[in-house]
Amino acid sequence: MTTLVSKLRQSTAAAVLALTAATVAGEAFAKDLTITVWSGGSNDSDAYRWEAIEMAADILEREAAILGEDLNITVESKGQFGNWQEFKQAVTLAAEAGTAPNIVVTSHLDIAPWSEAGYIVPVEEYLDIDAWPLSDIYPNIMEIAAFDDVQWGLPQDAESRPFFFWKDTLKKIGYSDEDIAAIPARVEAGEYTLQNVLEDAKKAVDMNVVEEGYGFYPRVSNGPDYAQFYQSFGGQLLDPDSGKLVLDKKAMEEFYQFFVDAVDAGITRKNHLGTDWGQWYNEVANGKAAIWHGGTWHYGRYAQEGNEDFWNTIEFSLIPAGTENGRANTITHPLVYLITDNADDEAEEIAANLVKIASEPRLNTLHAIKSNHLGISRQQSNIELYSNNRWADEATDRLLAHANSQPNHVNYGAYSEALFKGLEAAWTGTKTPAEAVAEVEVQMKATLGDELIVR
Amino acid sequence: MQRSSWLGLAFLSPALIVVLLFFMVPVVLTGFFAFTNMSTATGVKGGEYVLNASGLRALADAGLPANTLDQIEGAGYRVDAGGLEALAAEFGQPTADEFGKLHAGEVFTKRRDIERALKGLRSNPIRKTRDRKAAAELFKRSMMNERFPTLPAFEAALEEAKIPQADRPLITKVAYTGWVWTAENFGFLLSLESTWQYAKNTGIYVVFTLSFNVLFGLFLAIATFYLPAGQASTFRAIWFLPRILPPVLYIVMWRWFTWDTGFISTVLSSFGVAPKNWMLDTEFHAWTTIVLINGFVGASMGMIVFSSAIRAIPSSMLYASEVDGANRLQQIWHIILPQLRWPILFITSYQTMSLLTSFEYIYLATDGGPGGATEVWALAAFHTALNNYGGNLQYGLGATYALLLVVIGLMASLAYLRLFNFRNLLIKPRIEG
Repeated sequence: MTTLVSKLRQSTAAAVLALTAATVAGEAFAKDLTITVWSGGSNDSDAYRWEAIEMAADILEREAAILGEDLNITVESKGQFGNWQEFKQAVTLAAEAGTAPNIVVTSHLDIAPWSEAGYIVPVEEYLDIDAWPLSDIYPNIMEIAAFDDVQWGLPQDAESRPFFFWKDTLKKIGYSDEDIAAIPARVEAGEYTLQNVLEDAKKAVDMNVVEEGYGFYPRVSNGPDYAQFYQSFGGQLLDPDSGKLVLDKKAMEEFYQFFVDAVDAGITRKNHLGTDWGQWYNEVANGKAAIWHGGTWHYGRYAQEGNEDFWNTIEFSLIPAGTENGRANTITHPLVYLITDNADDEAEEIAANLVKIASEPRLNTLHAIKSNHLGISRQQSNIELYSNNRWADEATDRLLAHANSQPNHVNYGAYSEALFKGLEAAWTGTKTPAEAVAEVEVQMKATLGDELIVR
Repeated sequence: MQRSSWLGLAFLSPALIVVLLFFMVPVVLTGFFAFTNMSTATGVKGGEYVLNASGLRALADAGLPANTLDQIEGAGYRVDAGGLEALAAEFGQPTADEFGKLHAGEVFTKRRDIERALKGLRSNPIRKTRDRKAAAELFKRSMMNERFPTLPAFEAALEEAKIPQADRPLITKVAYTGWVWTAENFGFLLSLESTWQYAKNTGIYVVFTLSFNVLFGLFLAIATFYLPAGQASTFRAIWFLPRILPPVLYIVMWRWFTWDTGFISTVLSSFGVAPKNWMLDTEFHAWTTIVLINGFVGASMGMIVFSSAIRAIPSSMLYASEVDGANRLQQIWHIILPQLRWPILFITSYQTMSLLTSFEYIYLATDGGPGGATEVWALAAFHTALNNYGGNLQYGLGATYALLLVVIGLMASLAYLRLFNFRNLLIKPRIEG
């Protein structure tokens, strides 16, 4: 790490020297620059998060060469972090030590605290947001990478988080093929709710179609997915008028109660949280669970786990509503490219231009299709690799139109941590849902202060 | 002081430096962090001054007069004579003239708007994005979204914007992005129910693991003492394995052992027991695993210390007791245990301290689960300050947890000193007095 940084410093210093020399001599100058990219939450199929930057560097070098400049960009990338916790710890501590990577691929939720701390610089300082390719990015996704009216980053991908049903299991508990095909529309219309999920999952367990604890098989760790269930019960994350976070106690308690009911009915394991991810993927991909939820990128992962026939085995829909107050919904949680604050302004500008080029439809499509994410811009539907992909097409259609994102707010991290802690306590029976909500309220009031509205 | 004493000090100095660097400095820093609201958003190194949309909302809530708010927000980008002059100097008179003709006197609230206006220059275009950005900056009259590195710079900007003197302290306070001193962390921690849960968890963890460590260590030491030398060393070596294994590897083996598809489940399934996660099934399972995981590591240390202490007992005493007809149990009770008082004290107090602060095996095994049931105090400090899903690192609050732990540790040591009558144990033999 230190060697990397010292290299970076050396190269920057060398570049500055070269630049000065060239200006004095009035000749074409040579510039060597090392751009580091760190990407969180990535596995092998997400490699285009940094490979697109390498391709962009190649294009930028060629453009410079035509202008008679000798620009050499070395891209050093790191995509292997144990989990989100470790990645964010690494970036934060590196930024404090002044050794942050030039480009970070991370959750859009980091924009608020990291901009406050001065770790990142807005891409709009360097890029023309009105010009292609940025003008072609869907405005709602672009908005997710903005905070306080400033365009801090660029969306790197889009996704959403659907509910999944194992078709065979539904058939065994009495659904016809037509019934199953109608589920997505019924969910969207609010006719099929989380109460129906409890009933169907219970049937599947009682009829021994799936084992106990496998009726409803949720995500095994903290994540944006759980905010969806809060929304299912009518909960609101942010009050758009005041820009403050919202704790809707009734919705929160009903959301916790749903998971407690699932445990009591024997359709979800009490100790489910903390299950190994590898085990989880393998089980849901092969029909061990009746109903579960995940993300659009799971499509590819299920194939890796041996399910080559997604369309005939699995149905997908929005997250059903919980009550009449709630709504069927899904959260999109795009990752974003952020540029970190660097002593060398030139490095910031080049990094910004690299992420701009990497956002061009063809390059982004490589990532979208390889990793089973959704595209970020309109023109991607004119690229055959994208338009010929059934999953990208149908998932965009069925989910993305209804997707909202979590709010960019300096304190959202603390909010979401408290939400999950409460869920964990209720789920495992340490507290009743009402007690858990009471503690969440204390915790949120203390950490968020004026920035919280309690309903 | 004699010269030889200085020599002793010189020999000790590397150790002193290490203690200073790796113990004193962290403790002092923890004490210092504990009285701040430091977090990811405030950063560690201090702050700057910036007014953004969130800041303005906060100011409105805090009752800043609407006029002042408008003054800050409405200044925007103004196409005035000064700006056009600067534009002429940078990009040439024709450019400035054309821009003046199109937009003189206008105020743009957002940078993007003035950039669009600059893009509209037809006869004298500013082609490069970067140049247009620089040109837009020449007209900036607002202090919004600009980071001022120092207080004087920020105050100068307030002065320039003619913000009323009375409103400035509030604006400065809201605009500051860094951390501030606060004593609220302590009250906050104590008001949280989960803090008491962590305390309880830590109590369970320390009491059970410690009892296991000491009793099992004693058992191993005494049992191997009565074995032939060769066998004794073999057994000791086996029981020493958990300590020398890398923690990650050791825990991976435990997970494999207890997982749904692991060893215990596989073996028991042939007896008709449904497979389950033996580590995380219930709180009881989690605690049993945690105590065993830590206990086996801790017991090996007790075993080594107790074994050598037993060897230091003059064998003549043991022979004499055998001549007197004492059996093994009587030997242990009347001869061995009384002489192990000092090592037992040492192991007990040492292990209490290290258990209070250790969380690495829990972190790797259950990470505080299920449902926070095994979240001990030190682990909570780690999660709060350095490691959580949202990356919301609250250094100040985490340090407060750690500081309270230091206090608890000190109190526990004092209690041990009293309980074991430390002074008597250290009393100088009369012959030297």
